Amino acid sequence: MNRRDVLRVAGSGSLVGLAGCAGLFETQSAQAPPLPENRPDAVYYPTHYEGMKMPGMKEQGGYRCALTYSYAHRFWLMKPNGITKVEIQSEDSIHLMPVVWETHTGIIPPDINPQLTITQSGDSIDQFAPWPMLSQPMGFHFGDNAQLKGDGTYTVEVSIGGPSTRRTGSLAENQGNASFTFEFEFSESTLNEISYTDIPDDREGTKGAVDLMDMEMLPSSQVPTPDALPGDVRGSGTSGDAKFVVTILEDASRFGGDENQRYLAVSPRTPYNRTLLPMMSLSGTLHRDGTSVFDGILQATIDPELRYHYGATVADVRTGDELTITVDSPPQTARHEGYETAFVDMPDVQVTL
Amino acid sequence: MSDERGIPRREFLKSAIAIGGAAAFSACLGREEVDVPTGPDDLSSYPQRQHAWNEVLPRDDHGNVIAPSHRVLLYLNYRRDGQPNEDDRDQVETALRGIEHAYERSGDGLLLTVSYSPAYFDRFDDSLPDDVDLPDPEALAPFEEPEFDTPDAVVHLASNTAQVVLGAEEALKGNKSTLNGVDQPDAALTDVFSLADRRTGFIGDGLPAENADDAEGVPADKVPEDAPLFMGFKSGFKKNQASEERVTIQSGPFAGGTTQHISKLRLNLNQWYNQDDRWQREAKMFCPYHAENDVVEGTGDNLGTSSKIDDCQPTDETAREMGVIGHSQKSARARDDDDSPLILRRDFDSTDDGAASLHFLALQRRITDFVDTREAMNGTDVTEQSAVGQRNNNGILQYIRTERRGNFLVPSRSLRALPPAQPTGDAQEVTHESS
Repeated sequence: MNRRDVLRVAGSGSLVGLAGCAGLFETQSAQAPPLPENRPDAVYYPTHYEGMKMPGMKEQGGYRCALTYSYAHRFWLMKPNGITKVEIQSEDSIHLMPVVWETHTGIIPPDINPQLTITQSGDSIDQFAPWPMLSQPMGFHFGDNAQLKGDGTYTVEVSIGGPSTRRTGSLAENQGNASFTFEFEFSESTLNEISYTDIPDDREGTKGAVDLMDMEMLPSSQVPTPDALPGDVRGSGTSGDAKFVVTILEDASRFGGDENQRYLAVSPRTPYNRTLLPMMSLSGTLHRDGTSVFDGILQATIDPELRYHYGATVADVRTGDELTITVDSPPQTARHEGYETAFVDMPDVQVTL
Repeated sequence: MSDERGIPRREFLKSAIAIGGAAAFSACLGREEVDVPTGPDDLSSYPQRQHAWNEVLPRDDHGNVIAPSHRVLLYLNYRRDGQPNEDDRDQVETALRGIEHAYERSGDGLLLTVSYSPAYFDRFDDSLPDDVDLPDPEALAPFEEPEFDTPDAVVHLASNTAQVVLGAEEALKGNKSTLNGVDQPDAALTDVFSLADRRTGFIGDGLPAENADDAEGVPADKVPEDAPLFMGFKSGFKKNQASEERVTIQSGPFAGGTTQHISKLRLNLNQWYNQDDRWQREAKMFCPYHAENDVVEGTGDNLGTSSKIDDCQPTDETAREMGVIGHSQKSARARDDDDSPLILRRDFDSTDDGAASLHFLALQRRITDFVDTREAMNGTDVTEQSAVGQRNNNGILQYIRTERRGNFLVPSRSLRALPPAQPTGDAQEVTHESS
């Protein structure tokens, strides 16, 4: 079944008889199927998932950029007291996702917010800064729905500036601006070739996640498995369905401390797919025999080995120390379906080291 | 009131400013039923501070200055290589006096400033005095890559009457023998300067909604009908503005002048109006406290004389605990020892090039004051330590893109015609035969 058939069956039965009425039908097919009922406060299987296309890839200034797109999507924006649903607008043509990564490490930096400028024969069509987002099949990415003017050739310029999250190791050197220009041949018929997979009714809305897409040539936004993290992995905990893995590095000099200090690193990730969870405010306290030996923020940091994580320099860590991780703000990324109810209410995480 | 083609009068007037020229001016004359008084024969009572506009502008019920509605910025290049000569200075001063005689100095009449760029002062052997902080423009955030404006001069024309702005512009171009019934001198600004760029715009209750159709990137039906700016909120509150005294250069040969930064900011309001909700708009423009407590009614006229930022938590705490911070909240961190803001905003919206944008024109004693204010607005210090992103949830940075930046010196009135880099006492007392 292709996407159109799925949608016709899923939610627009009354329009089947109007299939010949192209305008009306197209409007309807731009919508997504109804959300599952009784969504859990956890990662859940969405109603459907979609593939994507990649019109091109460029390299400049230590970064690579792939331009990718899919169908226009509904998504959610974060607020301190909840989420705001963003519906697909009738003018939205596609969901446009510029994927930028650091060439050497393959790290997709969540702090470098690309700017998009779309033109056609020199005329301005659209320009915006896409949102940082979490999606089950795409992982972490920047994206937003774009409004094109029908089939045709578009020029898409993706520009990036300097970082705003602390970088350590070899990444500290990559500070510059870069821009990437793509010629993008768009047609409705090509868009409709993108795969659309329905998830059975008895599965959608239940705990779980669809797999990350197998994206040839594109790096992944996963963080390392606990085994692959550097340092001494001392435990983990969960909060809001996210998993927090704690590791201790012997030498804190790379992180602003000295070699006699330890670096306490917390690596949060989504369940199932191990996608990084950026843009949180985390803080931690370390208690030893009932006495506080550390109380401070865990700073978001991008490191070639730890990848995106949160950490602090501490004098010492001993077996039996009680670490409390407090989520002062959950990930402020926008969310695609299946992630909007998770990582919102996030109580403290307790880990005995 | 509508004309024969059914275009509402106000809508026509704002479009006329954007189009410009003699035809737009004549069309305005027939549609704006106003009688703007002429200026005095003797201009000697005019203030030395070119930027002293507030005393002649109307105020709202709270005492906030109401910014003039219609604007034109003329970017000019001096036609002569090297240093200016006295003939050219006379020509410029004569042309400026021509329009000042034609229209009184007021909100309904004409307000203007003439300013000069660092590139202009490069033509002198002397450098600017130490009292003047006027560096070349530069990028002011790690994530922006603006182009820099380097024309020699900028003339800023402002009025609540569209025909005054257009008429003054036409006269400066030598296209009017009489203006508002007043004979114009045989001296055109454009004989001395070539026009490098022309930027236009508007500010004031209802004007953005009326202009929204002209611009890409702004959902026409979403801009509140009474909003003075495209983003839907009032700005320029008395207590959020530096005073004219605060922005005035205090010593040296350019005492009485000020510096001016003009950036062109492209707006993307699809996300702002169609994706964010009211809570987010209020939190991101002011601060989350305001959004939580419904502090802002409509466009924010109820706020009175300030954006009530004292009620917001400290920016770094909000960033940590709420994950989102407000534009006013961040910007208010840039204040002097007397708790005064550092910049005086005289910005306005625009539909130039068919795109919704903001000409952010700000006056400050030193360009450094602007740089400090912008740095506070970037919130880079906060993003490193919290969930707030480079743009995401970081005030209004998600929705604006800096396209151009330029720095200018607005000298005192007596030095407004092609000033030297190091004026002497004599130069300050430019004697000019009134026409």
